[in-house]
Amino acid sequence: MARLLQKQQNKAEQSSLKDKKVAASLKQNMQDTKELFGYGVNKDFAMRSITLKSNGKKGILFYFSSIVDGERINLHIIKPLLTAEGDRIKNIVSIENIEETSDFEKVVQNINSGKVILFVEGDTQAYAMDVADFAHRPVSKAENEVTIKGPQEAFTESLNSNISLIRKQLHNHSLINEGIQVGERSVNEVNVIYIKDLVNDDILNNVRDRIKNIKTDNVRNLEILEQFIEERPYSLIPTILYTEKPDKATSYLEDGYVVILMDSSSACLIVPVTFWSFFHAPEDRYLRFFYGNFTRSIRIFCFYLTLMISASYVAISNFHSEMIPPDLLLAITASRERVPFPLIIEVLMMEIAFELIREAGLRIPNPLGPTIGIVGALILGQAAVEANIISPIIVIVAALSGLSSFAVADLNMNFTIRLMRFIFILAAGTYGMLSLTGAFLLFLMYAASIKSFGVSFFSPMSPHFMSSEDTIFRKTVRKEIFRPTYLHLKDIQKKPK
Amino acid sequence: MQNRGLLRMKEILAMTLIIVGIKFSDSTSSLMSQQAQNGFWLIPLISFVCIFPGFLLMLYLLKKYKDKNLVELIETIIGKWAGKLICLLLFIFAFLTLTLDSRNYVEQIKQLYFQESPTDTVYYIFFIVVLFGAKKGFEVIGFTSWITLLFTKASVLIVFLLITGDMVLQRIFPIFGQGLSILLTEGVKKASIFAELFFLLIAYQSAKSTSMFRKGSIIASIIGLFEILLFFFVYVCVFDYNSIKKIAFPYHDITQFVNLGQFFTNIETFFMVFWLLAAFLKFIIFIYITSWIFGEIFAIRNFEPLLLPFSFLVVMIGLIPLNSVINELVLRETLLTIMSPFFIIFPFILWSIAFFKGDLKQ
Repeated sequence: MARLLQKQQNKAEQSSLKDKKVAASLKQNMQDTKELFGYGVNKDFAMRSITLKSNGKKGILFYFSSIVDGERINLHIIKPLLTAEGDRIKNIVSIENIEETSDFEKVVQNINSGKVILFVEGDTQAYAMDVADFAHRPVSKAENEVTIKGPQEAFTESLNSNISLIRKQLHNHSLINEGIQVGERSVNEVNVIYIKDLVNDDILNNVRDRIKNIKTDNVRNLEILEQFIEERPYSLIPTILYTEKPDKATSYLEDGYVVILMDSSSACLIVPVTFWSFFHAPEDRYLRFFYGNFTRSIRIFCFYLTLMISASYVAISNFHSEMIPPDLLLAITASRERVPFPLIIEVLMMEIAFELIREAGLRIPNPLGPTIGIVGALILGQAAVEANIISPIIVIVAALSGLSSFAVADLNMNFTIRLMRFIFILAAGTYGMLSLTGAFLLFLMYAASIKSFGVSFFSPMSPHFMSSEDTIFRKTVRKEIFRPTYLHLKDIQKKPK
Repeated sequence: MQNRGLLRMKEILAMTLIIVGIKFSDSTSSLMSQQAQNGFWLIPLISFVCIFPGFLLMLYLLKKYKDKNLVELIETIIGKWAGKLICLLLFIFAFLTLTLDSRNYVEQIKQLYFQESPTDTVYYIFFIVVLFGAKKGFEVIGFTSWITLLFTKASVLIVFLLITGDMVLQRIFPIFGQGLSILLTEGVKKASIFAELFFLLIAYQSAKSTSMFRKGSIIASIIGLFEILLFFFVYVCVFDYNSIKKIAFPYHDITQFVNLGQFFTNIETFFMVFWLLAAFLKFIIFIYITSWIFGEIFAIRNFEPLLLPFSFLVVMIGLIPLNSVINELVLRETLLTIMSPFFIIFPFILWSIAFFKGDLKQ
């Protein structure tokens, strides 16, 4: 109850800020701003008062010293104001981006997003000048989506650099970068990027609506945003593509997809998606026709192995052992002779152990990594076999399924198939191939019924749509004529006649 | 029912092919070979010749009366109440076919792969999958059918290629088996093995355009017939006169018979997976269209909740026959014999009523 009251009080405070205008009195403005930002306590909140040379009036600058470029303030704002003549502020300061506002709420927002605010005595307008300089790391190599052939740059945690990386590859005047504000307490900007004369307006509006309808105090970054705008939060199957590679994002933009960026994430979101977006890697298209398709066939095989190999092993050896050739069957039986557990427990143990190594390996501090890795592998591999906890063949099976899971590069899809693998193992353990096939069919049907922003998961394969037919395999680049028509784009022809 | 016009010819073709074409792999062949022996592979051809004109006629009528499905068409032509009665008969046919066929499939799974399991359990598992699959709606069923079609057909092709070495072509002689007259009567009596084609007409408007449905179903039924003929021919050539009659599930016998080289000698489970996929899909489609027919007759727009009670009924009724022999050789045979004349004659009656009413003139 107390929390609720507090909340209402805060709401009241916020709404009072909403209607507030910039006062004509400089003193009033100064006091309000100081109070709001906790001047004096708040160490990096800076205030600087000056006398304007042009009209002799007093003015005050407010900014967060930690997120602005001090040099630029001195050179392009303070110095001109103190020394230069001019009839309007716009004509005095030499900053490219000046915004005039009379709303106090805007003033607060601008200070938060790294702008300098100038109040002038007797002026009901405040001037917001963009000198933001948030700390971010330089553009570096993609670490999670490695390619051998193709551009190596990855997105970084700065919106401007990210957009620059996209514009570098896509010189198109119709490439639009639209900003939408989200959040109540911390107002962050989400940037929606698309090609104006390609994109389907329904999809675009859908994206805008979903972003605008987010009701929360703060959306920190894309990773949180992704969960706010997706349709089925409890589904195992992802409906938004997350990538850190600008070249991948650009290729999707060219096909009429919508890309979402935010300032504090080193990745972008791409909507809508199909199964193929998760299956493809940019490198497939950079490699020549046969090389690319060879990679694709390896990858689809890895999909199968990760999902099914353990489950198939359980099903076949428990229920259909006649299928295994006699020599191999004897070998398996001999190796299992001294293992006390049922087969399915063995498989589950080993699969969970592999997941353990994977998760722990990810979190181990760098210097310890190799040591612990070797110990883990030794214990789980050799020692467990020698202690008759598991049979050696299980190590092979689990290693195969674990290894193939790394070929599924997309993190979301990777989780999907890793989790499904356990469901399939359990299914295989209950009624062999009957329940395994049933579970697989239901999974397939569920996937086929999924829609991402109105687009069916397996299009353009089924439902069929005209496209460049880039599904399991791709055509040669010269033969790719159409953009995916399941997006209902404004221009479907890729190649002018 | 969700219908957003996403189904194309491909999906209709895949669904028709799965629901009709899969018959070569169940016990239909043993049903036919009882009388005709090694001439039985010609029976589907005769049946097809009997029933296909009727099917084309139905498609023609549906084309003439635009924006109708099977039930609406019958009700428009012969009046609301008489039409409803006929459709109810159709529904009962569909439901019984579904029930007896499903028992038949469950028995196959049980006898070939899970001998020690009770039929009930296999039946329940089978229908839980079918129920949840059917719940996804007709379009998703169509997509899935198309995606899996390639795999199922590839596995069938592999079986065919592997068995060719064991075929003795001379075994088809005498070409008419026990005699031409038996072949002809059997052909007419078993014409309703293609009855599913008629049941599928309930989905006439589900495709993007009705011409896609027509093309898809016609092409699929011809491919299906070809497939059935080809495999029945293979069975005759592999198993020969007399012994063919004693084999209940020739497709599975063949998959157990073939080897992949010297090392992989028992690969039937590999083929069983794809066969199971097709079998699941067949019953998913079948139970969906059966509920659909029921929904149309009693004007239940949202018929998908009916899937659960129907699945339950199918399992309960399907478990009644004592064993698969009675189920197959007595009940299913009787049902087919009853249904055949209906499906051969009914389209022509419907057409002549429409003709004399003068509806076909526009």
